[in-house]
Amino acid sequence: MLWLCLSLPQLPLEACAPRNEGCVAITDRKGARRWLIACNQACTANGIHAGLDAAAALGLHPDLQLIPRSRRAEREALKALAIWAGQFSGFISFDAERLLLWLEIGSSLRYFGGLATLEKNILTSLDALGYTGHPGIARTPEAAALIAYAGASHCIEENDSLRLRLSPLSLHRLALSDSSLLALQESGLRTIGEILALPRASLARRLGPAATLYLARLLGEVPHPLLAYRAPDRYQRRFEFFGAIETFEGLLFPLKRILGELEGYLRSRDTAIQDLKVVFTHEQHAPTTLQIRTTMPLRDASKLLALLRERLERVPFSAAAEGIIVSAERFVPLGDTQLDLLDAKRRRNETWAGLLDKLRARLGNDAVHHLGLRDDHRPEQAWCIASDQAPTDIPPIEVERPLWLLKSRQLSYLPKIIGKPERIEGGWWQGDDVSRDYYVADSPDGSRLWLYKDLTTGHWHLQGLWA
Amino acid sequence: MSRAQAIAQEIGSSHLWLGRQLAVSPAQSTGFAALDNVLPGRGWPIGALTELIPTVEGIGELRLLLPALRALSRDQGRPIVFIRPPHVPYAPALARAGLSLTSIIRIETRDDEDARWAAEQTLREGVAGAVLLWSRADADLPLRRLQLAAQEGQALAFLYRHPRCLQNASPAAVRLTLNPAPGAIRITVIKARGGTREASLLCPLREAA
Repeated sequence: MLWLCLSLPQLPLEACAPRNEGCVAITDRKGARRWLIACNQACTANGIHAGLDAAAALGLHPDLQLIPRSRRAEREALKALAIWAGQFSGFISFDAERLLLWLEIGSSLRYFGGLATLEKNILTSLDALGYTGHPGIARTPEAAALIAYAGASHCIEENDSLRLRLSPLSLHRLALSDSSLLALQESGLRTIGEILALPRASLARRLGPAATLYLARLLGEVPHPLLAYRAPDRYQRRFEFFGAIETFEGLLFPLKRILGELEGYLRSRDTAIQDLKVVFTHEQHAPTTLQIRTTMPLRDASKLLALLRERLERVPFSAAAEGIIVSAERFVPLGDTQLDLLDAKRRRNETWAGLLDKLRARLGNDAVHHLGLRDDHRPEQAWCIASDQAPTDIPPIEVERPLWLLKSRQLSYLPKIIGKPERIEGGWWQGDDVSRDYYVADSPDGSRLWLYKDLTTGHWHLQGLWA
Repeated sequence: MSRAQAIAQEIGSSHLWLGRQLAVSPAQSTGFAALDNVLPGRGWPIGALTELIPTVEGIGELRLLLPALRALSRDQGRPIVFIRPPHVPYAPALARAGLSLTSIIRIETRDDEDARWAAEQTLREGVAGAVLLWSRADADLPLRRLQLAAQEGQALAFLYRHPRCLQNASPAAVRLTLNPAPGAIRITVIKARGGTREASLLCPLREAA
């Protein structure tokens, strides 16, 4: 087993993604004490950092915006990340308390072409979602966590070098209870190395068996059973915005993140979607629901985003969005269309499908369609709006027909008739009996018309133009 | 052989430039020899805008395109896109004319702007064989955008316009007015970039009913 642990210290801030350009920090509290746990870049520039007391930070910068941490948002984000990470590893676990995410990567190394490539892939993808993560790689989950905290991503594959690497680190990073850490510090201990040097039996006496079990797991002396996160069979992601969003530009960031996470989910299951449901919630109004349906199976986040953009640019919100729910329930195989880039015809089909999706996203699903034939004698019933895969086993008609079909309208005068009539009867089985004589005629301005005389009423109608 | 060509041959020089050989664009035969003769590249220009301006409806303004559309849809299997046509393109007539219905798409839009947007997108992707757009746009900019999109995607681009647009210049490569004629359609070449100017000809329409 080889573990990659991602420490996500900025998650409290990144999970709620405030759009304030100024100084923003997330606070935690215990009793009356309030302190900063995550800060944005503007804070760092003003000398404000995590760990600072809230009152002291406000003293440094009175315009600082303080946001209490949302455990729920953090949990949602971690769960989404666990789902996303499924594309890199078959075993994912997370710790919402310590903001850690583990991926077992020993089994994925060969598939991804080695440790360096895999690590780079993971970090690039994480960055694209808008998260800050520090990686640590080691043989045990807890050692990987300690290395991730230390912020220098060295892979420690051997247990001997692990002791060496961990020894200089400050002991307060150890996952021991506050009282245990305090007791160790009061005994004058400062580093992990000093603790590891102590006889295990005396440690057990002073700190209890939980502490020694933790140390044994850290060093890989006993196995560490982690709880694997299992992604649900349906995809649903909620994102509550910190402050309502009114423009598409504002939505871009959360949408990009969610679609990136979704892409990870689809990759991990080697599947794709043709339907995506996106719901925007509003404070006072009913939610806005967008249904995206694509012609070909998709999983590429940028393509999905482009489709959503087309749709959103057309449908302005009735009110600012407070949150978003993205869900996908039906999954289809991707096929190998994305791999076979050399096959020109296939690529053309894919471009064509992508174009149709784009057109439909903006103009509506029904606005873009095929025209089909129907087996009916009545001219107005002999055609239909057809879907993309409409069967066309109806043979073409043997007599000539005009290229423009008009909604039939009664004529007040009779133009110059040319040639003999064609009698058309039918529809009696639907109670819509027609009996007509069709003629070609010329209008005074030179148009060639398609007319019929209704044999039951004797009225003349115009139904087509020989365009 | 034109006089210019005859002179060129007599001089025996291939260095002589003939005005009509300049900037000859790729083209798709119209299927009508008389019309091919007056168009640059001997056919509907590929990758450029062609304006068709019928004086009235129902004079063969669509039948004029059928040979080219048939070649694109049936022989090359490329899509034909009708955007915001004024009436329903009648499927039985299209099928009878030898077009493959699976390759035909109709796009309905709320307004002219959406129609032009759809045309631009479709042209630019370069997958469609031909785009037929009915637009009332008069301004220069939207037409220029269509011309650019056609160029980018190297497709046939037909723009049907109202006769009143003749008052203004157009960025289209080819501009034709269409008039009714018995058993035919009268075509007047208003503009043909790199081709004959101000020709007028009768094009026989076989299926004129």
